[in-house]
Amino acid sequence: MKYSYMPGCSLLSTARGYDTSARAVVRELGSELIELDDWNCCGANAIESVSYLLSLALPARNLALAEQANRELVTGCSSCFFNLFKINHCLRQEPALQGKLDEILAAAGLRYSATCRVRHLMDVIANDIGVKAVTNRVERKLTGLKVVPYYGCQIVRPSDEYNGPYLPAALDKLIVAVGAEPVPYLWKTRCCGGVLMTTEKAVGVNLAAEILAAAQSADCIVTVCPTCQMNLDAYQSEISVELGVRIRMPVLFLTQLLGLAFGLTEKDLLLDLNIVPVSGALRQLQKI
Amino acid sequence: MAEKVFNLTRDMLDPTFADLVAPDREKLLTCIQCGTCTASCPTAHAMDYTPRQLWRLIQLGLKEEVLSCNSFWLCTACYSCTSRCPRGIACTKTMFTLKRMALSTGVAKRHATAHFYEAFTETVRRHGRIHDVELMTIFFNKSKRLQAISYTRLGLTLWRKGKVSLDAAGVNIKRLDQMEAIFRKAEELERKR
Ligand code: SF4
Ligand code: SF4
Repeated sequence: MKYSYMPGCSLLSTARGYDTSARAVVRELGSELIELDDWNCCGANAIESVSYLLSLALPARNLALAEQANRELVTGCSSCFFNLFKINHCLRQEPALQGKLDEILAAAGLRYSATCRVRHLMDVIANDIGVKAVTNRVERKLTGLKVVPYYGCQIVRPSDEYNGPYLPAALDKLIVAVGAEPVPYLWKTRCCGGVLMTTEKAVGVNLAAEILAAAQSADCIVTVCPTCQMNLDAYQSEISVELGVRIRMPVLFLTQLLGLAFGLTEKDLLLDLNIVPVSGALRQLQKI
Repeated sequence: MAEKVFNLTRDMLDPTFADLVAPDREKLLTCIQCGTCTASCPTAHAMDYTPRQLWRLIQLGLKEEVLSCNSFWLCTACYSCTSRCPRGIACTKTMFTLKRMALSTGVAKRHATAHFYEAFTETVRRHGRIHDVELMTIFFNKSKRLQAISYTRLGLTLWRKGKVSLDAAGVNIKRLDQMEAIFRKAEELERKR
């Protein structure tokens, strides 16, 4: 199957490893991500704080472009996913918005008729490609590897179209599919605080510390959001000070974990870009 | 948080406040003060008023008290409250509205998060996408904070790993004209509202 693909700003910079590994893994699974030409920033959680209409119009431009391409629009970024998904949701709930959105997009010579289906990459891999196809592609079973399935908050809201809002299961199933073991974890959808790291660092560190502290029985954490990955990966030295315990927990993107099981190389998956070393830590455990 | 007693006088109360704030005012008035929102909120412990308390202050019309508190600046938009509220109140959306009101009335000046949102918006307008280094530069200029220092080490690590680049124009989308047209039109319609 072919999908339009919107990497999102983070996947071009701090989460390059996610972009590269996502493209590689989806290719291995026989599907194709075709980058949406000239996509723009979805607004994250910042734009709605400044202008409500702009927070609708920015993702809507991408949807208008994807509608022209006539394919479902996939993104691996949970914030992009949420913002794109929200447009369809809002247009259904508040039909009066369509007129305003039309007017704004028309200024850019575009139109969106609310027909483009928005998908998260995790959903596509778990439900379109399917757990079975993932299992069949495994070359190197990750037997014995204990993994925390950390979904983050944005992916499960606002609608539970494909995922329960509190105890979602897609990520758990994919971890099982590659022979690893999902650790029971109550903080699956708790906010990691990533969006506060620049402006309210003490609060952000506090939230990330909770997530990491609760994950200590695992060998690694797997995420499906660039903000969560960066936040949980990059501040571990500060968090160790906060907790008074040394934390050194590899935080992988789902697609990096799948890629390892598919026998892809560290270079294919850009594992060396993760801040807490991944491959070394896992190899030490002789689990891969 | 310790109990706070207000000696309410008429001039403290703005009866139109709830109308302006809540996209679903009628619903907001049905808040039963159960505290599910607060219990679900990851940052409530750091807020001047917890989400539950905030809704009550809004109902009462305590506009200044609400707009000058830090609660909504600490909202990460995780939507836990919204998805759990038994009354179906649009809690997160209301937090966003408060951010916008505080920005437009100028009381937001003290909050770093407000500067960050503005810097973010400016970067998207210029490039169509986010350029991390430029975003941080605009932000630190706006907020006039010295905390830039505490991000230097991380910034260097990211740069060494090739995760951030210094070339802001490198992220530009092709149709910046469309971006500008969208920003202008949205601003125009916001003014009309
Ligand atoms: S969860 Fe809903 S009803 Fe309960 S206090 Fe919060 S806003 Fe009010
Ligand atoms: S959306 Fe905001 S107010 Fe609601 S639970 Fe999350 S951080 Fe708290």
